[in-house]
Amino acid sequence: MKSLKLHLYYISMGTIMGFVLAHIGFGDFGQVHRMFLFKDLRLLFVFAGAVGVALVVFAIIRQKSAIPHKILHKGTVPGSVLFGIGWALTGACPSIALVQLGLGRAPAIFTVFGILFGTWIYRHLHARYFRWDRGACE
Amino acid sequence: MFNYWPWWIGAPALGAIPILFWLLFRRPLGVSGSWGQITRWRATRGARAVATSLQRNPAVMSDALMAATIAQFGNEMAPGALSKSGPIQMPAATAHAVTRARVPASAHLAFLISLAFGGMLSLIPDHAIRIHFSLSPAYSALFGMGWMSWLILLSGGVLVGFGTQMAGGCTSGHGLIGCATLRPASLIATATFFGSAVATSWLMEVLLK
Repeated sequence: MKSLKLHLYYISMGTIMGFVLAHIGFGDFGQVHRMFLFKDLRLLFVFAGAVGVALVVFAIIRQKSAIPHKILHKGTVPGSVLFGIGWALTGACPSIALVQLGLGRAPAIFTVFGILFGTWIYRHLHARYFRWDRGACE
Repeated sequence: MFNYWPWWIGAPALGAIPILFWLLFRRPLGVSGSWGQITRWRATRGARAVATSLQRNPAVMSDALMAATIAQFGNEMAPGALSKSGPIQMPAATAHAVTRARVPASAHLAFLISLAFGGMLSLIPDHAIRIHFSLSPAYSALFGMGWMSWLILLSGGVLVGFGTQMAGGCTSGHGLIGCATLRPASLIATATFFGSAVATSWLMEVLLK
C-alpha cells in the first residue's frame, strides 16, 4: 500500500473508531465507572456484543487466513493488573484517552502524557531487565 | 448531555471496527501497539529501510549471509560463493514474506490523533464542541478539580501505558480481537484487567465517597 493511501486509511479508521467510541459512551468517565461498579450494564452489553459479532466474522475470516495472536508470557497477568488500575482511575484505555480529549475534556491531556511516558519507560525496562519472549520480534 | 447509543446499535458498530481494520490492512487492530510504535519510531524507520531495500534487491540478503559465513568459517565453508552457478538467490516472494514492510510511525501517530478527531466529530450535530476543565462530573466528585486530580490522571496514564505494553495488548488487541478469536492469553488478560478495574473502582467508591 502506498504511503499516502496508508496514512489516509489509518486516519479514516481512527476517525470512525473515535466517533463510534464517543457515541457508545466509552469516553465518559461516569459511564465507564458505573460499568465497573455494575450499576449500568449497557457498556458491558456493548462490549460483549461487539466480541460476539467479531467472533462470528473472524471465524469466517480465519478459514482463509491466519490472524496473528498474542502469546501468554510472564508479563501478561501483572501488566493487565496495572492496566486495570489505570483504567479505573482515568476511565481511559489507550484509545479512550484521545477520545476524551476530542470530546473537549482538557484534563485527559495528563492521561495522554502518562500513557506516552508509561509506554516509553516499559520499552527500556523490557530491553534491560525483563526480556521475556513476547512472541513477536520487535 | 449526550444520548448514547443503545447496546444493540453500539455492539455491531464496535464489533465492525476490528473487522474493517483487518479487511483494510490485514493486521489485527491494536491501539496500545500504535502507542508502542510511536515511541520507537527510530527503530521502525531503520527496519523499514532494510525491508524496502531487501524487497527491491533480494540478493542483498543472500550476499550478506554469505559474507557472514565466510567471515566466520573461511572460504572453503562457502562453496556457493565459489561455484560456477553463482551465489544462491533468495526468491523475491520469500524476501517479501520475511521482510513485510512495517507501518511507519507517522501513520500510527495519525491514527491516534484521528481518534480524538472522531470523538470531536461526534459532538457536531449537537453543537456541543467546547472545552471542559473537568474530566467528567463523576470524576470531579471522586477526585476534585485541582492539581491532585491531574496527578492521578498522569499516574493512571502511566499505569495504562506501562501495563498495556507489559501485557502485550489492551482493550482492542486482547479484549476485542483476542477474545473474538478465543486466544487463551487474551482471555486471561481481558479477565485480569477487567477484574482489576472492577476492584479498583469499588475501592475508589469506598475510600473516596
